[in-house]
Amino acid sequence: MNTEKSYSSPFSSYLYSKETMKLENNKEKRDYPKLLYKGNHNKYYKDNTKNILFTSLLSILKSFIFIFFIYILFFRKYILRKNSFLLPFKNNKTLLLSLSTMIIILLLLYDLGTQYYVLGTDKVGEDVLYKSIKSIRTGILIGTLTTIVMLPFAIFLGIFAGYIGGYVDDIIQYVYTTLNSIPSVLLIASAILMLQVYMSNNPLEFENIYERADLRLFFLCMILGLTSWTGLCRLLRGESMKLREVEYVQASYTFGLKKISIIVRHIIPNIMHIVIITVVLDFSALVLAEAVLSYVNIGVDPTTYSWGNMINAARLEMSREPIVWWSLFSAFLFMFILVLFANLFSDVVREAFDPRASKNYE
Amino acid sequence: MNNLLQVKNLYLRIKSNKKSEVLRNINFEIKKSEVVSLIGESGSGKSLTALSIIRLLEKSCKIVNGEIKFLDKDLLQIEEKEMRKIRKKDISMIFQEPMRSLNPVMSIRDQLLESYDDYKDKNIDSKIIQNLISVGINDANRVINLYPHQLSGGMKQRVMIAMAISCKPKLLIADEPTTSLDVTIQKQVLDLLLELKEKLNMAILFITHDLAVASQISDRIIVMKNGTIIENNQSKEFFIKPKDEYSKSLLESSFYSRKLKENISLPNENILNIKNLRVYFKEKNTMFSRNESYIKAVDDVSFSMKPGSIHSIVGESGSGKTTIAKAIMGLTHITSGHIEILNQDIAALNKSNMRNFRKFYQMIFQDPFSSLNPRMRVGNIIKEGLCFLKPQLNKTETNNLVEDVIKSVGLDVDSLYKYPHEFSGGQRQRIAIARVLVLEPKLLVCDEPTSSLDVTVQKQVLDLLMDIQNRVQISYLFISHDIKLISNISDTISVMYKGKIVESGKTSDIINNTKNNYTKNLLKSVPQIKN
Repeated sequence: MNTEKSYSSPFSSYLYSKETMKLENNKEKRDYPKLLYKGNHNKYYKDNTKNILFTSLLSILKSFIFIFFIYILFFRKYILRKNSFLLPFKNNKTLLLSLSTMIIILLLLYDLGTQYYVLGTDKVGEDVLYKSIKSIRTGILIGTLTTIVMLPFAIFLGIFAGYIGGYVDDIIQYVYTTLNSIPSVLLIASAILMLQVYMSNNPLEFENIYERADLRLFFLCMILGLTSWTGLCRLLRGESMKLREVEYVQASYTFGLKKISIIVRHIIPNIMHIVIITVVLDFSALVLAEAVLSYVNIGVDPTTYSWGNMINAARLEMSREPIVWWSLFSAFLFMFILVLFANLFSDVVREAFDPRASKNYE
Repeated sequence: MNNLLQVKNLYLRIKSNKKSEVLRNINFEIKKSEVVSLIGESGSGKSLTALSIIRLLEKSCKIVNGEIKFLDKDLLQIEEKEMRKIRKKDISMIFQEPMRSLNPVMSIRDQLLESYDDYKDKNIDSKIIQNLISVGINDANRVINLYPHQLSGGMKQRVMIAMAISCKPKLLIADEPTTSLDVTIQKQVLDLLLELKEKLNMAILFITHDLAVASQISDRIIVMKNGTIIENNQSKEFFIKPKDEYSKSLLESSFYSRKLKENISLPNENILNIKNLRVYFKEKNTMFSRNESYIKAVDDVSFSMKPGSIHSIVGESGSGKTTIAKAIMGLTHITSGHIEILNQDIAALNKSNMRNFRKFYQMIFQDPFSSLNPRMRVGNIIKEGLCFLKPQLNKTETNNLVEDVIKSVGLDVDSLYKYPHEFSGGQRQRIAIARVLVLEPKLLVCDEPTSSLDVTVQKQVLDLLMDIQNRVQISYLFISHDIKLISNISDTISVMYKGKIVESGKTSDIINNTKNNYTKNLLKSVPQIKN
């Protein structure tokens, strides 16, 4: 990856700060230096504004060609074979609309991104767009890995507490009440600090900085997962307590089903909607929590691409004059889009699995 | 001008349904101090009619056409501000569920205070107490400081009535005010309403699905079906000679009876033998305090039933009848006593034998909306019992059995692939019956199998149950609060009160010459259709 020298604003051809440059006639001049890799290689016009407009127009035209193919595939008769797995999507306007938006944005970003720094560069001259896209991985990883760690605790303990009750319920309740009353930021901070001490005492076990960064990320997910199952567990306990008394559960008890088969056949399918909603809300919260934790320096390793680190860096960028706004802006934009779409997605998933709400698919 | 309220050409539409109106061409009037009953099954639009009079309709409903004249004012045209005055002074409403229509965090005094204009008056307490006494709450001094959860269902409904009449309304709308109450309390409430009507000279619009209740109280009967008025008749004429076919079928359904097999020789052995059954519940205790007080839900109950017969346990809510059913099915623990089914003490069975034995006795639950798992297809629901209780069957045998049984309860084979929410209440109860019938049980415990269904559907489900009994050798243990229904179908009856059986014996003996005071009281309270 080619990097510039320092900050440059979006779509700019020059650096953001003046430098002393030597001219050919050995005179010195103080001016904004030109960017080395992007911003000065216009394909169509010399003028930046004209070139940007023309490139955008061209890429939109290109994307319309793709969209046309998709339209033909899903909206014309007889194109799809009868047993095609794409058949359920036939004549689906939502699909066409979302695919078209995606294609247009991706092509635009690609065509413009090869010529310009669309979201500028950061302090060490790295492309902010590239950084933000790389950070999606960290965000999603923290969201999903933590959820995967927390789900088994929440589901099993919640259902056992609610369905079996008695002393099992008492014990589980006390465990999560205790865990809930520990301030989670302190717990995470101490765990991460412990890991850092371990890593600095045993430097030979880690071959390079990437291994350290990965271990730190993994550790963060574990500790977040161990602290965040209590909310869902409490919800599931209440719901399975309610379901235990519902008549279809009692009916299956009179059929002689074992407790475990009642849980698998009747309880779990009927609490899944709560799980899905909570998981997505937690996912969003975790993506945001990563940003907060990195901001106070107990999140992911500073070398890992993450929105939290970008926001952390923006603390200084915002206090310089003239301010550098694009790092913070793009971290905010990407985080916002990811969290919003996770929420929308969960709504649709929940509806699709609910036999009362789903439309006929036959 | 004799009419208090006149509804003319009322059409009402729900916004999501563009094709048809929910109410069509509703025309009726209520005269001063007249009791009019609106009768219909669920979904017939009787509640919507009442709500449009008092203008409490949800936002998704829209009145398309018509006028509602109350003392020369069109209620549909006036401003909301004026409507509020009318609600405060002239039209009051009582709702069905007294548990939900009172705010649990307000004391009775504070709730009643809301319905007075002069709530700043110093003597308001004495006014409230007077009001509570007039609805038959004698220790009103104590009651005004209580909270709703400290009162019984009947008391709550009395408080609701006190709230409604505190403004001395000209019209009282009562939306199924007695449906969730026991019969003895229902009678008290009905008597109270009639007494208040005389005293305050008010008209009552009484909404009910129960013809017998309507016949007790009303001067005129309006029958609704599918959003239209089918019959509007004087009460006296209606119960002797209804004009419409549907009204006739309603009337017939509420006289359900089965032909009792006379003098059949029942075998000597019993299918079910309950000896000294006790089920006590510990009162709530926390982890650290051991509190040894008990609620005696079932206290020393013994009875037996013969194969092929119908035995009924009748009692009011809280009498412990459902606890007996649960004890038989093993859904609740037993404190002491024996339950023998087919001469086998079920407590003596170990777990795996118990599982095998369960196919001989099964249960139908009260609410068909909660007794079927909403996330399973009907076919799988019916198969569930087979898979666990008759695992020796192979796949085709199971499928054949399931198809046979769904036909035998009068549903299509197609319905096996549907989800429960696609069926109506009656159809769902059929599915619940099919689910247990497929196991060929010898004893079927029916816990209020028809009480959440409409009368005509009730009749169909009972017909189905009786028809099944004619086909296969099966005994029913009916559990119900409805002594009228029970007396028409069962061979033997046990009457329960506060956890004990107060009387047990042949139906005809108990109905015609009971010796017990409680049973007498119960029989007296049952609303009969006056002819």
